[in-house]
Amino acid sequence: MSAETKPLPIIEVLNLKKRYGLIQALKGISFSVGKGEIIGFLGPNGAGKSTTLKILSGLIPADSGEAKVCGVDLAEEGGEVRNHIGFLPENNPLPEELRVIEYLHFRAMLKGLRGSRKRDRIRIALDICDLERKVSERKIGNLSKGYRQRVGIADALLTEPRLVILDEPTIGLDPRQSAVTRKMMERLRGEVTFLLSSHILSEVEACCDRMIILSHGQIVTEGTLNELQEEFINRTIFEVIALTDRMSLQKSVREIDQTCELLQDEPVDVSGKKRFIFSTEKGEVVVEAILRYLVKIPDLRVFEFQIERPDLETIFLRATKKNWEENDLLGKRSRRFKIE
Amino acid sequence: MTQGYWVILRTEIFSLFISPATYVSTFYFLALLGVGFRFFIESFPATNWILPPLSSLALGLLFGAPALIPFLTMRTIAEERRLGTLETLMTAPVDAVSIIAGKWSASYFFYLLICCGAYSYPLLVCIIFPGQAESLGFLKPEHWIGGFVFLMSFGASFCAIGIFSSSITRNQMVAGMLSFSLITLYLAIMAFSYGEPTKIDEFRSYDDLFAMVGGSLHRGLDKIQFFALGVLHIPTILHQLIVVFFFLSLAKLQVEKIRH
Repeated sequence: MSAETKPLPIIEVLNLKKRYGLIQALKGISFSVGKGEIIGFLGPNGAGKSTTLKILSGLIPADSGEAKVCGVDLAEEGGEVRNHIGFLPENNPLPEELRVIEYLHFRAMLKGLRGSRKRDRIRIALDICDLERKVSERKIGNLSKGYRQRVGIADALLTEPRLVILDEPTIGLDPRQSAVTRKMMERLRGEVTFLLSSHILSEVEACCDRMIILSHGQIVTEGTLNELQEEFINRTIFEVIALTDRMSLQKSVREIDQTCELLQDEPVDVSGKKRFIFSTEKGEVVVEAILRYLVKIPDLRVFEFQIERPDLETIFLRATKKNWEENDLLGKRSRRFKIE
Repeated sequence: MTQGYWVILRTEIFSLFISPATYVSTFYFLALLGVGFRFFIESFPATNWILPPLSSLALGLLFGAPALIPFLTMRTIAEERRLGTLETLMTAPVDAVSIIAGKWSASYFFYLLICCGAYSYPLLVCIIFPGQAESLGFLKPEHWIGGFVFLMSFGASFCAIGIFSSSITRNQMVAGMLSFSLITLYLAIMAFSYGEPTKIDEFRSYDDLFAMVGGSLHRGLDKIQFFALGVLHIPTILHQLIVVFFFLSLAKLQVEKIRH
């Protein structure tokens, strides 16, 4: 795509900084998000996720740096951005005495919706969030946590926003209720950009196109799951279930890749099948070549072959570990300095 | 952003109408005021009250305001802060000015409704006992208009004080007590030296000093003499508008501070 025709990113952030008293919550983060992407915004507690999301939704100002959301410069027109986005704040506080439908009417009017368009958008938002008519007539104070979250998401979707920011949308929800949120995002995939902050990594892994990992107010890494796997896990692990012995299999594997190491072998059942786990510095292409080679060997029966990909949790822990150590070291130094 | 103001105003009025506390306080307030007004007009010929008898209703409402206004304003922002819904409100395209102005207008609207309820007593006297109403001066419209404008101007500032009190705490009881204290203090300052002749050219007492620095605050309640006769005393109205602006600005700053 040429530079002229390339659509503008929905979010553009450059060197964003924010300080709360003595704590530097954001230390100059930069990233951009394209139209229709679902972005996972990850990081340990206190990493600066919620601060970033609040700045992007125009709730709080940044101290310095540039941020544009839907083409609106937040430094110049912070309030204007709220016309283009939907935001579900952390904990999703809602007025308990209102009925769901009353609350959505109130929010729709606050967002400038009137008449038939208001009614249509409320109906669509209720439908997307799986809030049936019976639930919409109930008081918010009597709803379960899952339904309350859905009400918050329905509110965020009322104005057909180009960007929806969800801060911990599935915290405290059971797997079934979390699945409803994922289903909602899948349904709107490509039409709406989602920026999703969550600690539930399996969920982020399942529905996000790209992840941005923050730690101590800095972006430690960003990319697709594959890119992160390549960046943080530099060895490829694969598993073979075969009817053979350890020595001959290792010999066969090493004919393709000399660096391949056998990590583990164990019997699977009484028939003599064994599970072999190998590790190689080379990528998946070489591992696939090993498989093709193994299946051609006449005396070797391969039953299963599997390349094990590291999950997001492993990547998250590795990505944030280095940053934690650096910050912790700084803390120790400063403490030591004080004692001296 | 004005759309936000109207939506908040409507919602706040709705929430005041469905709140049992509002009904209970309004009922007791109007009932006590009605009993007091009845005894006052019965004993009026025996008193040395120099103002029109209708002004007693305005004064009754004014001195009852410290007990009434907190019930109308204490929930407005304190409860939203406690529940965290103020943050949710701010995720919509609505600014702090619309929020504060909407909530103040709703409280003020309800206060005016109560004033209308109070003025129904002399209206009933006019309908049921026209002869007595005429002898008490209830048929002079300027007395009605003056008294109501007096209440409107003071009510606006009392509601602003209530909104400010509600904005600085998460506890609505604390907001209510603070509102009561501030309105009482405000009334006490205005009632200072009530009825004494002004001696601006002499600086022999604290009263003289207060008259210098207090401006229209000084003997503010004396101004009822103008309103009771149907004279709209513009400096008093402007004074109350400044108080409204001052306290609502403080409340706005407080709401914006919560965001940061």
